[in-house]
Amino acid sequence: MRQHRRFSRARLAAAAASALVLALLAATAGISGAADVLPGNVAYDGRFTFVRLRYDMNWGLRSGLFRRDIKWAHDYPRAEQNFGRIVEEISSLDIHLAPNGGNVLPLDDPELTRFPVAYMAEPGFWQPTDEEIEGLRNYLLKGGFVIFDDFTGWHWENFTAQMARALPGIRPIQLDISHPIFHSFFDIETLEMAPMYGPPPTFWGLFEDNDPAGRMYGIANYENDIGEYWEYSDTGWYAVDVTNEAYKFGVNYVMHALTH
Amino acid sequence: MLDALFELFFKYRPLIFEQGDFAFRAPWTGGLAVAAAVAAGVLTWRSYAQVRGNSRPLDRVVLAVVRLAAFAMLAFCLMRPVLVLSSVVPQQNFLGVLIDDSRSMRIADRDETPRLQFVQDQLATPEGDLRAALNERFALRFFSFSSETDRLDVVDELGFDGTRTHLGQALARAHDELSDVPLSGLVVVTDGADNAGGELEEALLPIQAAGVPIFSVGLGRESYERDIELGRVETPRRVLRGSALVTDVVVTHRGYAGRPVTIQVEDEGRIVGSENVTLLRDGELQTVRLRFTAGEAGPRLFTFRVSPQQGEMVTQNNVRETLIAVDDRRDKVLYFEGEPRFEVKFLRRAVEDDENLQVAILQRTAENKFMRFNVDGPDDLAGGFPRTRAELFQYRGLILGSIEANYFTPDQLRMISDFVNHRGGGLLMLGSRRSFAEGGYAGTPVADVLPVVVGEPRGDGEDGFFVEVAVETTRAGATHASTQIADTEELSVARWRELPPITIVNPVTEVKPGATTLLTAADSDLVVLAFQRYGAGKSMAFPVQDSWTWQMHADIAVDDMTHETYWRRLLRWLIDGVPDQVVTELPQDRVQPGEPATILASVGDANFEELNNSVVLASVTHPNGEFTDLPMEWTAQRDGEYRATFTPSTEGFYEVRVEALADDELLGEDVTYLQVAPSDAEFHDSTLRASLLERLAEETGGRFYTAETASSLADEIQYVGGGVTVVEEHDLWDMPILLLLLASLVLGEWSFRRFRGLA
Repeated sequence: MRQHRRFSRARLAAAAASALVLALLAATAGISGAADVLPGNVAYDGRFTFVRLRYDMNWGLRSGLFRRDIKWAHDYPRAEQNFGRIVEEISSLDIHLAPNGGNVLPLDDPELTRFPVAYMAEPGFWQPTDEEIEGLRNYLLKGGFVIFDDFTGWHWENFTAQMARALPGIRPIQLDISHPIFHSFFDIETLEMAPMYGPPPTFWGLFEDNDPAGRMYGIANYENDIGEYWEYSDTGWYAVDVTNEAYKFGVNYVMHALTH
Repeated sequence: MLDALFELFFKYRPLIFEQGDFAFRAPWTGGLAVAAAVAAGVLTWRSYAQVRGNSRPLDRVVLAVVRLAAFAMLAFCLMRPVLVLSSVVPQQNFLGVLIDDSRSMRIADRDETPRLQFVQDQLATPEGDLRAALNERFALRFFSFSSETDRLDVVDELGFDGTRTHLGQALARAHDELSDVPLSGLVVVTDGADNAGGELEEALLPIQAAGVPIFSVGLGRESYERDIELGRVETPRRVLRGSALVTDVVVTHRGYAGRPVTIQVEDEGRIVGSENVTLLRDGELQTVRLRFTAGEAGPRLFTFRVSPQQGEMVTQNNVRETLIAVDDRRDKVLYFEGEPRFEVKFLRRAVEDDENLQVAILQRTAENKFMRFNVDGPDDLAGGFPRTRAELFQYRGLILGSIEANYFTPDQLRMISDFVNHRGGGLLMLGSRRSFAEGGYAGTPVADVLPVVVGEPRGDGEDGFFVEVAVETTRAGATHASTQIADTEELSVARWRELPPITIVNPVTEVKPGATTLLTAADSDLVVLAFQRYGAGKSMAFPVQDSWTWQMHADIAVDDMTHETYWRRLLRWLIDGVPDQVVTELPQDRVQPGEPATILASVGDANFEELNNSVVLASVTHPNGEFTDLPMEWTAQRDGEYRATFTPSTEGFYEVRVEALADDELLGEDVTYLQVAPSDAEFHDSTLRASLLERLAEETGGRFYTAETASSLADEIQYVGGGVTVVEEHDLWDMPILLLLLASLVLGEWSFRRFRGLA
């Protein structure tokens, strides 16, 4: 019995040490989301539900210690949890506040079509299969809207390359403050935000027929990471002003997607 | 045949007996004749009573009765029985002869001989048998009639190209013209189809009062052996360009049961719809539903046609034409949505390419915060939902999304009710957690308008009612214009069954009396789509919260247009027929050259209250581009109704534009179209109307003839007709039947004696 207790203590100590290491690794890699282990999605009930797109990555593109960084899960789930509460508070949107802030779905999941607004983090690491590309194409052409967030530098090439696979000929168009999406709920006055990765953030639209006056398939926050602001909005990590701006962008994106 | 047999035995035709009064004209008195007959009878009886021999009493009774009967007959003849009747004086009376000059007289439905052949053979020339016979007795006055009635000097001038038959008008005109002369009657030679409507009864009254008999000669057959006819075609007179129309066409036929035929609809010669049908039993009315789209704006003449079949007797009735004014304008619909949700995005997208629908969207995004789309200007709907009737009534349709009843003031709720009831608009309520019972509408004026019963909320648990349902059409929904989502009825019904399920949070299961359910849940009694007429307008209930599923669902192809088609047709139907402040109406949208056309206009103010003191002007543009301005006068029969009349002279389309002003301010204008063309009514329902002609004759004391019996017309008018008459007596004692009877009695007595061995 005593021996058993000693053995157990040894195992507990080992486990604690491992957990500490993993926590350190996770923090180093910036994952809030090793959390793909969190429990599942909520069922569709007609209400708006935040959906984060999950994707597989090319192993070579993985980064972080032990390559455990799950790019699609950056800021998950606290980003959508906080965002959902803010949206519910300030608007009349009937949002389904799922335990994890929303659902996580891959692009080739038929269930995705029940949620016409989706969010993708780190599209620079997005390596979709042909099925996922087809799923994205159908999703966008039928009326879906995707928010691409949290990418920088050379990630752009991957993002545009993958989008070209889904919608051949598509060309991201840089937006200025006059676009209606920046005025759909909040009247955003400037697109100048504090740099997240060094270069100034820019906003890019993906449009039907590459016509800026046409329907917008999605918006890309390049050199920016508004999900990060959402995630840490209750920690004081970032300044209130910039966090508020991040929320404004998010709310406007959703309102625009719900009406256009 | 029977008449000839009768005349053979009774010397005269039955008509003489019908018209004459019976009398005796013996030179001696009636008492003397009776006394002589009684004396002869007594002598006979006594002589037979005294006879003995081998006769039995019964033999003597038989012989005595036979002998007495013979004496009675002789006595009857000696009394000189006569028929006394009045007879027109030859050449002292006039006879009006009215000849149908319409196109239906060309129909060759008897031994491949056209109906007009009777006229040409019998009446066109003085040598014609009937004309000659009439001419011997009467002074004839001929009239031709179709759309108009004219005196005829030369009968063979008839062209038989009239496009309508105004039988009543013709009788009235002839009677009027001959009212000052001794008139024996009016002879009407026609196929009996009176397609002018309504004036026959009125025309008959003075003719009956004057005691002028009408002698009708019916030409043609009462039914065709082989014929297909397109009967009633019901289309709206005005639609929005691009509207999908579902039109019922009534088909009847004889002789083609079981035959497959194709019914087509053409828009100015271009086939825009067709339907294959197999003809039912002879004479049975068969309703065929045709779908087509009014694609071009302006006055459009749609032609419904079934191809002539082999052996068909009348092919002209295989075609029907209908004029539809196709408006190319943007009709405004207000969609008020209380929460940001995808129904807005997808509904907006579904109708955004529809050039004739302007769906203005007022989207509440937060308390007292709104987004506006497709509005007319920066101030339009800036204050939120309209607060005045004038502001709300500018729309033709109103969609209420997820907006709770408490949002509205009591007056706004009444306004919404008035929007339907008084203004004549279309209201549609969508499903959501803030509409129907869940939105607190029970007991509100809006609930009164809706086609479904709005009770108390029936939530299941704290999250409320929620169910996913597949949709199917009801019988009404299978054919209704708003639910046609495919090219044919069958495909549409099948497509509804294929569509992915949608979700419902409003458990609506009961519709109001008079409402129609178009879509239901496949496995429950939930109502998915229902409508009702309410007051001057209509309302619809669509308690579905995510029809956008029919666009986004994984089972829906990217290029599938079902969602778009559904919403466009639904909204177009919702606002179809919704009036403007000024509405022009033509009681008859097709008249013939020279026929007066009436223009009616309804005028109301911005609140749609009728105005009787407006300045209303109709501007008529002729086919040649000329204008005619017609001031319109208040009818004093209905509030807000104005009338003007004009007589078009040439064929073609006339544009009728009506403007109304009040206090020098334009209330509105409306445009409609008049088609001026020969009527196509002559070949529809063109069989001989024998019953009508018999009734004409019967009610005026005349007689009905067919082409076969008309030869006796002249003789019979002599005794039936009015005018200057003399009394004639026709002896009956020399009727062959009497001689025959007398001979039979004598022969019978002799035979009886022989048979009994008494001779």
